[in-house]
Amino acid sequence: MNCQPANLSGTLREPDSSPIDGVYERDTVEHIISPIALYLICALGAVGIALALPRQHHEHAKTLERVGAIALAAAFGLAALVLGLRASDSGSALPNIFFYPFAAIAIGAAVRMITHKRPVYSALYFIMTILASCGMYLLLSAEFMAFALVIIYAGAILITYLFVIMLATQAPTGEEDEMLDEVDAVAREPFLATAIGFVLVGLITSAMFTGIGHLPEPMMTQAQAADSVLAHLPKKIDKALDRAGVLEEGWRVARDHESGLAMIDVDAKTIEIELLGDDANGNETVLATRTLTGDQWPAELGADNLDRLGFNLLNDHPMMIETAGIILLMAMLGATVLARKHIELEEDLKAAQARKLGRMLEDTHPTARGAGGQA
Amino acid sequence: MMIRALESLQLAQLAFPSEMPDSVLAPYLFVSAAMFAIGLIGFLTRKNMIIMFLCTELMFQASGLALIAFGRHHLGSDGQTFVIFVLCVAAAEAAMALALVVLLFRHRESLSASAWKELNG
Repeated sequence: MNCQPANLSGTLREPDSSPIDGVYERDTVEHIISPIALYLICALGAVGIALALPRQHHEHAKTLERVGAIALAAAFGLAALVLGLRASDSGSALPNIFFYPFAAIAIGAAVRMITHKRPVYSALYFIMTILASCGMYLLLSAEFMAFALVIIYAGAILITYLFVIMLATQAPTGEEDEMLDEVDAVAREPFLATAIGFVLVGLITSAMFTGIGHLPEPMMTQAQAADSVLAHLPKKIDKALDRAGVLEEGWRVARDHESGLAMIDVDAKTIEIELLGDDANGNETVLATRTLTGDQWPAELGADNLDRLGFNLLNDHPMMIETAGIILLMAMLGATVLARKHIELEEDLKAAQARKLGRMLEDTHPTARGAGGQA
Repeated sequence: MMIRALESLQLAQLAFPSEMPDSVLAPYLFVSAAMFAIGLIGFLTRKNMIIMFLCTELMFQASGLALIAFGRHHLGSDGQTFVIFVLCVAAAEAAMALALVVLLFRHRESLSASAWKELNG
């Protein structure tokens, strides 16, 4: 293992990171985080979550929750510190400073979601996790997905969850936890589950960080990637040129005759344009061409996130849209069939339900029973 | 420092994002893995069926974050395209799961997963 941290810094990796006798040149977790620190952080987080999970009739439940929260915060801080120190050791770039609050909110809200005893609060904390991960999507320059996530997850899916929670649970009448259902108040096997979960985190992260060393290079450079989408969008280039006022009447971006791609070179900042007109026989033909160079390049010309995403979805993965349509149709049919089924409660359950209702009535209106008795 | 951070934020709609080094990718993956594990722990420990399905949504969310981070690393849009698909599956799953939960609740008047012990095969 010939790990050279100095070469891994900020820049793109050398193209020769191919396997040499089955051994990759840089195949360790070491250059991202030391494994021992990783496992320590996982263990600390595991202890934190196990302590914070709900348990009833425990005299120190509140204190345990606080200790758990402190352990989790320590694990998060330690992880940020270790990752940051290792990165600055090798002189490589760190994530944007906004990453840290977003990550802290996402993980904190996720933990609160699984430890809160009231389902409604859990759902609200989940919305918080979603919003924080939207922030991370923005940092990863996936603007469209960030806003789609807010609309679809926070706006639609979670509202459905809230509706079902409110339909299917009785609101607790007091502030006391004793009023809660046993279902919500007690966790099942907290220590075992947490141990399994965090062994999984350790394994996933060490596998992923190991895998980072094996990631193939980006398939193209920044300019090529922008180029490949822009060339497919000649109309967009036309519009940008028009708006910048560099195009005279009748001129447009030159299209390649076979593929129809626009003749544009993002790297060299040159655009070929052509003048269309009728020839002697009345057929449309190219009368003249010329090349626009760097200083005439419109400042606002570029493929944005939405262009690239839409192009990728429709051009490279058309089958995905069909599949998604079938899945959604099936879900709609299934949900309708399941939800409209009429249920007859068994006799004893019915009696229990009636008793419960009677007790609730008695609690809220002490006179109701007397009035019922007289009638 | 804040100003520099703001400037380095590549929100620019027109500029194509530049290459992202490993050391920036790794923290995102760490957050994603942690979120996935928290979802898994929640699914295993909580007894309320609605919370259990909420935890599966958290796991979807974690995988979405990893997909977008890897997609950003490769400078492609495939990651985002797959997140759209994951979103579709999550929506379908939510619709089915909630219909099922409502059905089960009407049978037993309880949201506890252990009310359906006889289904344990």
